[in-house]
Amino acid sequence: MAKKIFPYLLLVPTFIIIVIFIYYPAFQTFKLSFYKISPFGNRLFFVGFQNFWSLFTSGQYIQSALTTLIFVTVTVIGGLVISLFLALLLNEKVPGIGIFRTLIFAPYAISPAVAGTLWAFLLSPVAGYVSYLFLILFKAQPQWLTTYPLALIAIMIATIWKNLGFNVIFFLAGLQSIPQSYYEAATIDGANSFDRLLRITIPLLSPITFYLIVMNVTFTAFSAFATIDVMTQGGPANTTSTLIYKLYQDGFVNFNTGFASAESVVLILIMAVFTYLYFKFGQKAVFYQ
Amino acid sequence: MWRKILLFSAMAVLASAIFAAPVTIQFWHAMGGTDRIQLLQNLANEFMQQNPDIKVDVQYTGSYTDTMTKMIAAVRAGNPPDLVMIYDIGTQMMIDSGVVIPVQNMIDKDPSFDINTLVPASRGYYTVGGKLYSMPFNSSNPVIFYNKTLFEKAGLDPNNPPTTFEEFIADAKKLTVKDANGNTIQYGFTFGSGEPLAWFFEQFMAVQNALLLNNNNGRDGRATKAVFANDAGLRIFNFFNEMVQNGSAINAGPGWDNARQIFISQRAAMLITSTSDVNMMVKAAQSGNFSLGVMFLPHPSDVPYGGVIVGGASLWMVNTNNTQREEATWKFLKFLESTDAQIQWSTGTGYFPVNKNAIIKLLYEGYYAKNPPYLVTVLQLLMSNVTPATRGGATGAFPQIRTAVDTAFGKMFTKAMTPQQALQWAQDQANQAIANYNSMY
Repeated sequence: MAKKIFPYLLLVPTFIIIVIFIYYPAFQTFKLSFYKISPFGNRLFFVGFQNFWSLFTSGQYIQSALTTLIFVTVTVIGGLVISLFLALLLNEKVPGIGIFRTLIFAPYAISPAVAGTLWAFLLSPVAGYVSYLFLILFKAQPQWLTTYPLALIAIMIATIWKNLGFNVIFFLAGLQSIPQSYYEAATIDGANSFDRLLRITIPLLSPITFYLIVMNVTFTAFSAFATIDVMTQGGPANTTSTLIYKLYQDGFVNFNTGFASAESVVLILIMAVFTYLYFKFGQKAVFYQ
Repeated sequence: MWRKILLFSAMAVLASAIFAAPVTIQFWHAMGGTDRIQLLQNLANEFMQQNPDIKVDVQYTGSYTDTMTKMIAAVRAGNPPDLVMIYDIGTQMMIDSGVVIPVQNMIDKDPSFDINTLVPASRGYYTVGGKLYSMPFNSSNPVIFYNKTLFEKAGLDPNNPPTTFEEFIADAKKLTVKDANGNTIQYGFTFGSGEPLAWFFEQFMAVQNALLLNNNNGRDGRATKAVFANDAGLRIFNFFNEMVQNGSAINAGPGWDNARQIFISQRAAMLITSTSDVNMMVKAAQSGNFSLGVMFLPHPSDVPYGGVIVGGASLWMVNTNNTQREEATWKFLKFLESTDAQIQWSTGTGYFPVNKNAIIKLLYEGYYAKNPPYLVTVLQLLMSNVTPATRGGATGAFPQIRTAVDTAFGKMFTKAMTPQQALQWAQDQANQAIANYNSMY
């Protein structure tokens, strides 16, 4: 009997923390999503599903859902393709490769807010280096952060850049675990380098890629918040307002707690469905060695 | 032996509690930057020296929005500060919160404080239903800073800045400089979007003496409708749109910083920003080697000039059910409103004094003669007509209205909507937000 209780006792501290910081707030969020609440919480009215109804009939919410979809798709696919390409280059045995690897990984170590500030500087309409380069090379003055769709593209670039290091490191680890003998055998059989990439490298990288897709979707959907807040604040005209940014605006700028809770619940459901689908169907496409 | 020690120590504790009896009050503010944080701390230190029995715990709690968020969280957790700085548009929300003590209650009890020393515009903004709810502290307006050196280069008279929308648009065009390839190397005008832009919109409504909300801007009763989608609102949308579309103005992006940078680096000749930036601009002009001018907000030529609305923030007393702390807080508030404290605060930041005596003293000492930009910022406020329009709107849905107005500007700038459509869209959003807020009260 004592044997059975002891492990649970060890779990108690963890459990307490999870209950206080995750389950209790999550429960509160579910509860509040059915209420209309005054900013200071002194007025509370039960409204049933009205918050959800207003969400789905609100053009702005649908727009921000679409923005999120476009943003996440382009950022994740673009980010992974670029990362794979860089990882292939960094996998070559050339002198000083360690330095390049470190430099590529560096952006991952800074916070999203700093990344946003950096890019906002670079893209600043009159003082930024990128704007200056565009002026010299293409004789053009794109207004990156205040026009559509450039603002969204700018956020995508910043997010891809920020997550690049993480993806490259994982791809590199994957590449280095592929035995050299496979390539040698393939070369003897007459496969060119493109065949080797397509038939050996990419299939053998699929477990890592699957993991990275899941991680990147989460990153992009949730942690791009700080980057957006610093660079565009969801503008111009909400074209860079993702679901998570809209949630922040409704909850912490407009003080619409009930409405924001409903958004939060929708977000939890989206993530739950996504995770379920991916683990159900995603694994079939993955080739394990 | 032990009993004696215990007795003595108990007595010692009791004695210190009776004789020193320090009351600690919490003061939360939203004035960022090391200068301003230090300035407020210095004021609190001076107060504590004068009143050794009161300890003021000064805390910088982030931006206006962050401070409001923290205030709400603190109230819900049952542990609010004694004194908190809340932005202009939080006024109705604070009144509805049920946790504040209107400063009018304290003033009525205390003949040593003369309410008539408060600058009328600041007092008017924070008076709702005939009651002064919070103490004006850091009051500001928007003004236009301009680069006199660039005015001269463009062949414009630097001592005769534009006063109407039409002149402003024409001058902005003349101040725009393009290189051989047709790229703009200097803009006529720059502004920050986001919250600042929505604030400028409210101000230009007051400039035209037009209301934002019904029931006299929510001053005669709870506002139930937004009323800005009219000719006055449209003139403002067109004003900004024309300059953005013809390339003489540049939208600097969200917030205050980007626009300031563009102006300071002399890539734009005119900047609309808060009067509280006057310190920063004066210094920037000195180090950037250009001559700085300040002008009043322009108005459409066919509409007489109304005035500006007090912006910035005020100080709210929180009901803590602790008379001792409330009295200490009131004492501290009176200190902050005093002539000397207001002079320190105003000259150290650029916010204008909210105490008439401070303005008079600065004037007599020759401060305004030596620092004309500061004079313009004060004059713009004092020369404003006091009408319901210039007293500003009061509604609990104000943050959402600002978001909607800024979004509408974005829709117009990106040509997703015409100015007329964008304005109407903003008003519809505002009405929805007001109805939603009011349904709770």
